[in-house]
Amino acid sequence: MFLIQRRSLLLAAGLSALLAAPLMAQAQSDTLRVGSKIDTEGKLLGNIIVLALQAQGVKVDNRVALGNTKVVRTALVAGEIDIYPEYTGNGAFMLGDESNKAWKDLRAGYELVKKMDFERNKIVWLEPANANNTWAIAVRKDVATANQLRTLDDLAKFAAGPGPLKLAASAEFMERPDGMPAFTAAYNLKLRADQTLVLAGGDTAATIRAAAEKTSGVNAAMAYGTDGPVAALGLVIMQDPKGAQPVYAPAPVIREEALKRFPVVASTLAPIFKSLDAETLQQLNARIQLEGVDARKVAGDYLRSKGFLK
Amino acid sequence: MIEFQNIGKSYGGVRAVEGLNLHIELGELVVLIGPSGSGKSTALKMINRMVDHDQGRILFEGREIYSFDVRDLRRRMGYAIQSVGLFPHWTVERNIATVPHLLGWSKESISQRVTELLTLFDMAPELFRQRYPHQLSGGQQQRVGVARALAADPAVLLMDEPFGALDPVTRTALQLELKRVHQTSGKTIVLVTHDIDEALLLADRIVLMNQGQIVQVATPLELLSSPASDFVLDFVGRSDLGIKLLSLKAVEPLIRQTPAPPGSPTLAQTASLREAVAILAAQGSGVLSVLNAQQQPVGSLHASDILASHAHVRA
Amino acid sequence: MRLKVHPVLAVCALLGLGAAWLLPLLRVAPNRLMSGEPVYLASVLPGWGWSLVLPVFALLIQPSSTGGTFNKQPPNAISSQLRVAALPLLIALGLASLFWLAATHAQQVAQTQSSLTRTSLGAGFWCLVALAWLMSLDAVQRLSASSAARSGVLALVAAPTLLLLAIGVGKDLSLLKEYVNREEVFWLALWRHLQIVATAIVPSILLGLPLAWACTRRSGLHQWLFPLLNIVQTVPSIALFGLLMAPLAWLALQFPRLSQAGFSGVGLAPAVLALVLYSLLPIVRSGLAGLEQVPVAAKTAALAMGMSERQIFWQVQLPLALPVLLPGLRAAVVQTIGLTAVTALVGAGGLGSLMFDGLFSAANDLVLLGVLPIVLLAMLADALFKAMIAWVQPIGFSDADASATPLAQVSGRIR
Repeated sequence: MFLIQRRSLLLAAGLSALLAAPLMAQAQSDTLRVGSKIDTEGKLLGNIIVLALQAQGVKVDNRVALGNTKVVRTALVAGEIDIYPEYTGNGAFMLGDESNKAWKDLRAGYELVKKMDFERNKIVWLEPANANNTWAIAVRKDVATANQLRTLDDLAKFAAGPGPLKLAASAEFMERPDGMPAFTAAYNLKLRADQTLVLAGGDTAATIRAAAEKTSGVNAAMAYGTDGPVAALGLVIMQDPKGAQPVYAPAPVIREEALKRFPVVASTLAPIFKSLDAETLQQLNARIQLEGVDARKVAGDYLRSKGFLK
Repeated sequence: MIEFQNIGKSYGGVRAVEGLNLHIELGELVVLIGPSGSGKSTALKMINRMVDHDQGRILFEGREIYSFDVRDLRRRMGYAIQSVGLFPHWTVERNIATVPHLLGWSKESISQRVTELLTLFDMAPELFRQRYPHQLSGGQQQRVGVARALAADPAVLLMDEPFGALDPVTRTALQLELKRVHQTSGKTIVLVTHDIDEALLLADRIVLMNQGQIVQVATPLELLSSPASDFVLDFVGRSDLGIKLLSLKAVEPLIRQTPAPPGSPTLAQTASLREAVAILAAQGSGVLSVLNAQQQPVGSLHASDILASHAHVRA
Repeated sequence: MRLKVHPVLAVCALLGLGAAWLLPLLRVAPNRLMSGEPVYLASVLPGWGWSLVLPVFALLIQPSSTGGTFNKQPPNAISSQLRVAALPLLIALGLASLFWLAATHAQQVAQTQSSLTRTSLGAGFWCLVALAWLMSLDAVQRLSASSAARSGVLALVAAPTLLLLAIGVGKDLSLLKEYVNREEVFWLALWRHLQIVATAIVPSILLGLPLAWACTRRSGLHQWLFPLLNIVQTVPSIALFGLLMAPLAWLALQFPRLSQAGFSGVGLAPAVLALVLYSLLPIVRSGLAGLEQVPVAAKTAALAMGMSERQIFWQVQLPLALPVLLPGLRAAVVQTIGLTAVTALVGAGGLGSLMFDGLFSAANDLVLLGVLPIVLLAMLADALFKAMIAWVQPIGFSDADASATPLAQVSGRIR
């Protein structure tokens, strides 16, 4: 009787491996595994990388939209994926050097994270885009106009004073030292528990929408510098004159050994990322979020329009 | 055909069967009978190894049963039980065909055999073969059960209280049918029952057991006329011993050639003395007119003759 | 004339009326992310449409049941059958008209407003669809046809609407725009979803059935197996997927062969493993119950007739256990179809990825695009299993035969 059990266990394992085989990609050494974060821009940049490299004849395993920052970074370090688009500013937090002033400058920050990550983890940071996708706080236009809110200074006073202010944000934003805490430090912007609404997931579309529709009394939203729908949904971004936030320039990060296997990656992606400035990113993001076009299609159309793809 | 040589079996210290010696002849209908716990079912189950004996040897057709492959042994024996055990998801035909199927018979031979058996048990084949067990009455189910046991033409038919769960009318009918089947087929049958009347009706020889041991082995007539002990006497029914004996005797030998007076109650020629006495008592008459199969009188039966023939029976 | 009213249908029809009046049929939003302004049925219904409302309502609430105090006609009379069939037909036409109205309005909006404007089907529409489904189910139960025919009639209720969909009506609705925007992704996700379900269910059966059989042989086993499976069942799915990621990633690192085969901490491996664990409980439980209700007499007889243990299992125990096993399997499959949606969070793909995509990007219709197929798949699986279960029921159990007296059954010479 036990024989039957053992046999069917083997059979079960074998069968599921057989069924699953077509699903599991061959993680052999001739494939490049491309991951990305799960938010809009992550999917956009991830698909850009996938399509650009496929056009160069590289065999790509598409793992775009894998998970949040932590999941994707862990996967890269552990060797489960080979390349994904990251932000230079994130280096401050990931590599533990937050106080360094270099982060406030795009180029300096990029050089710093490139040096540190290569030394520590043998991870290579390729050429960045010239855009700052920093965290920002956007407020409803009517609230901003009525209370003359233009900068984060104004917002801090407004929050402490009459209010009412309610911010919709992700858990990551509220907890990471370079998120809300950075604003608090620079502008003394303190929000009580009842002044925040924490949402799951890092996509700002949900927070922006909450503010636009006044869901649960929300009138301010976490947003990104390159977000598409901010203006379209009647919000205005609070300016950051003190530069509380580090610069977040998107750049592909790749494991050194993967780069050795596919040297064509660096030269292919460099011009593409250079062409992505803040305005372009905003437009592409808007296409995905407002028009609802699939990220892969938007990436493909963009690459074709710029001649990177035939 | 089947031989028990000094068979013993214990269940955790309790002796269920002890020192059992029995020889079953080819073509015999042997009934194992006894009170609860007498070991009769255990003895039966030892034949097809549903229970394995601890001591002694059982020989089947001259060979020790442990030398057979157990499945092979069982396929050569029919087995019918009280709860029938028909397979609810199979038709009557497929149920009956179980062992032939296991043995690899051809479709045609199976079909033929099923027709044969259903006819043997007076069940119209075309009506019953596609039915399912839950569409049959209790009596029909047990008939199919016995037919299934007989399907592969086994050397011996083992039956464990097969009619115990049926109503008295159906039970009697099936007992008579079994007797008929035994007479026409000449099969060796070993039957376990606790009903003495069933044993007296069916058996060629009765094996009376008590507490794991054989008390007496005898034909029904011998058992009733010379019981070996008080236990036997009590078991067969001390008080109506005489009536039971009457049911074993036929009317035939006591028929006088002289016709009965007109208006006398009638009796079939094939009846037993017990039926004769019952009619005589009920009608308050002293003479019966005996009729043959064509309903014509062939003679008379007198109450005085019956009583005289019985005089030597021990009370 | 006295108006005869069927209570269930009347309640549904009244609720339907309420939903149609009070809940928005559509919502028109300036872009994909906003919820939009409500549009009620009342404003979309053409003038002549109003005159149909009362007669339709009256027809809907008519009892079409037969016999009893309502009807003097015998149960299977043709006219009462027709009346029963008329209700689903009416509902089918009603659904199609509703859809057509919504689609037309969406078309108007698309032609007059900016290209970013989105028209979504509103709460009113979905409530009416749900109520229509309930009413059809009720009506179909009373048709005295085989269960296959009844399922056919039920499917036909959706037919006119699907036909409209097929010829392109409704392409301006937000839901369909989402579909068009990611058509390839949708079909890939659907196929992937089915693959995940199959990859999880097959091992569950191969593991679960022997476990159930083992439980019948050793009483000790069942005492710790079931509490264990119960505990697994209570672990929230997302947590289980998350918990499995780390050990599986470690395994993949330790055995490079595994990771070459695609085994890793994310993706299919944690998903399938967790799904198998979740499916085990219903399968083992119903397998055990099924095996236990196999009549002992049948097993004894089988053994005594010389069948081997394996023959007894396959020919006697399993077929007799099926009527109890299959409902458990059906529960496992339906549950797995639903849970597979969550596997998208560990990177396994499937329809759940569309759903989460929509959730995170605040696009409700994208969420629906992921969820509706899952619901339909579950309903389809359920119907398939229902058919299978009916098929393995012993023939004649539902017939009059089983209740007839033995005397009535037999026409031969036996009593």
